[in-house]
Amino acid sequence: MRNSTQFLIYFFMMLGLGITSNAQDLLETLEKEYPDTPQYELATFKASRLSIGHSIETRKKGILEIQAFNRFWNIPDYESQSFVADKLGARIGLEYGISDRLTFGAGGSTLESIFDGFFKYKLIKQRSDGKGSPLSISLFQNMAYRSERNRPFVDVNRFDEFGDKLSYTSQILIARKFTPQFSAQISPTYIHRSSSAFSEDPNNQFAIGVGGRYKLGGHVSIVSEYFYVFNPLKSINTYDAFSLGVNWELSDVMLQFQLTNTRGMTEESFITQTPNVFNFKDGNFVFGFNAIFVLHLSQKKP
Amino acid sequence: MNKLIILIFLVMSFSEDTSRSDQFITRQGQVSFFSYTSVENIEAKNNQVLSIIDLSKGEIAVSMLMNAFVFKKALMHEHFNESYIESDLYPKATFEGRIVDFDPLADIQTRMIKGNLTIHGIANEVEIKTTIQNNNGSYLFTGDFEATVKDYDIKIPPILAPNIAKTISITFRFEYQPYEK
Repeated sequence: MRNSTQFLIYFFMMLGLGITSNAQDLLETLEKEYPDTPQYELATFKASRLSIGHSIETRKKGILEIQAFNRFWNIPDYESQSFVADKLGARIGLEYGISDRLTFGAGGSTLESIFDGFFKYKLIKQRSDGKGSPLSISLFQNMAYRSERNRPFVDVNRFDEFGDKLSYTSQILIARKFTPQFSAQISPTYIHRSSSAFSEDPNNQFAIGVGGRYKLGGHVSIVSEYFYVFNPLKSINTYDAFSLGVNWELSDVMLQFQLTNTRGMTEESFITQTPNVFNFKDGNFVFGFNAIFVLHLSQKKP
Repeated sequence: MNKLIILIFLVMSFSEDTSRSDQFITRQGQVSFFSYTSVENIEAKNNQVLSIIDLSKGEIAVSMLMNAFVFKKALMHEHFNESYIESDLYPKATFEGRIVDFDPLADIQTRMIKGNLTIHGIANEVEIKTTIQNNNGSYLFTGDFEATVKDYDIKIPPILAPNIAKTISITFRFEYQPYEK
């Protein structure tokens, strides 16, 4: 009796083992064979600009971006016969991926003749496999040189010496891709202006940017961005920068459209010195259009 | 008597274990795909494809990560994963099938492999002509076939339709070694 129970137990054990080893699907076997290589989120955003401000994205090594940023706006009761818009501001820029993490960029804007250069470094990449960092973090540092006065507006910096016209912006860009469609970014910003024309104006300003994108399809997304300044200028009335836009990418070309209240295209200019609130009245409303062309200067061999 | 039964079962269980060695695996399988159009040629290669064959049953399975494909241009890699294959949602492509009339001992043979190919979360039945070489206990599978983009519900905006071929040609090369757990 005891022997036969032992036999039965052993019999069922063997049967059970036999079933499990046979039922093991070949695909399931392969699942276990995947090496444990880290998987990173691919594109939290598509372009180096979320809408008006920088996104966490840097270009891959050997990629040159040719950029033409444009802003169009009307002047209230302006006696002109200009086509489409009374005024146009443009920034022509280049960005180059020195490595997969580090990007250098430079550009020149027509408005106030601002020349700017920057470095952006991708410090932490968000992992998509649930391990590691749940956020991506990039560091941004730029320097801008304002070479012309912006009449009829009041200039907040002095124009006496070369150094007076410089400003520096540092940003910590923090973003997370929540779903394949939705990504959000928060960007603490520190802006230093070398000189102030008015003693009541702060030389160091702090701001925080909040932005997000929602992908409508494979190629189109809607984006919005807002910058809040903690210690705004006192000598002139300034307003927070806001933008609502559409980003569209088509193979090597990216187009970004914005409804915004900002005219400048460098951080110091649009975050701290936007002279108008966001609405659709002439003089306040600005239409923006960024065209970006991506050139692969070095190509991998597949 | 009891000992004899145990012995029989032991032998049986060992024989089951030895049947495992009928499985052959590759962890560095190569899969490439090509899209030739007058506007643009796109090619990509994945060197980390997993595949396993079971000689006794004549079964084969393939699994690969879509973001492991390497493209000439970094932006192509991003667009492939982000806009077309949607590898956030469908990270892997898999194949599960049967080798028709497979002879494990033949030196070289050309056989049809029938099975389900799953890309972009959509499974399609395919037949792939494969050359199978037996090199003293390791197997080499090579071949090529074509897949139609439309069959896998991959959306291409009309403006980019001239850039991407309607049918993509795919080549593969798998060198199998005995599978040891």
